[in-house]
Amino acid sequence: MAIPELLSSIFLVMGAAFFMAGTIGLLRFPDVYTRLHALAKVDNLGLGLIILGLLFQAPGLTVALKIILIWLLALAASSAVSFLIARRALNRGVAPWKAKEQKI
Amino acid sequence: MILRTVFLRIVLFIAVWWILTQGRADSWGVGLISIVSALIVSLVLLPPGLFRFSFAGIFFFLLYFLSRSLKSGIQVALMAARLDPGFHPNIQEIPLRLPEGLGRVILVNTLNLMPGTLSVDLTASSLYLHVLDERQPIEAQVRDIEKLIAHMLCVELEES
Repeated sequence: MAIPELLSSIFLVMGAAFFMAGTIGLLRFPDVYTRLHALAKVDNLGLGLIILGLLFQAPGLTVALKIILIWLLALAASSAVSFLIARRALNRGVAPWKAKEQKI
Repeated sequence: MILRTVFLRIVLFIAVWWILTQGRADSWGVGLISIVSALIVSLVLLPPGLFRFSFAGIFFFLLYFLSRSLKSGIQVALMAARLDPGFHPNIQEIPLRLPEGLGRVILVNTLNLMPGTLSVDLTASSLYLHVLDERQPIEAQVRDIEKLIAHMLCVELEES
């Protein structure tokens, strides 16, 4: 296997692993705020790694630039949406989950 | 100065359209309408002359952003994989030192992607953050990012 293909596969697998972890976090974490943490960070790093992996396979400059643009737009969107959901939850009085020893 | 900003933005929007259509020649009719609309919206939402970008500042900001993103993603992935994620979440109030406007928007959105912080509310004087572990020095991290953004936009931080 050529080196660019190998690097591409490594980054794609790493990206998929982060998406997997983020999805597990989304299912397991206790409240809306902690779940948003999992989502936004995974969009950033997992998608970033997948984009990096795909760049090695891009057939031309415009496709490569377009892939990077998609990453930037997804970052801006996921971050802004996280903030809006979190603010709405706080305004509606959704209390953040606390660890047991914190409650005392 | 204003003409220069308008010119740079036109170049930016043309570049974005060129990338989106992958350089196809037959899409420039729609492209022209889109570029003009984008320019008008950008001039209304972000009037020229309020700030300028420092290229060195952008570079340092990106460097910090990328290294922290890696840490942030790994941290959340480990938390998701552990049986006891070890949360100590809380909401913290951080007084803002950046002037109102673009700088604060960048701060809020950057913090959402940084390790352990999620912006939950923004008032005229303070930012409210949901943190995954309140024992971590969150304020120091916010101050670092504030400084980088102030440098990038060539603005002064206010005393808090």
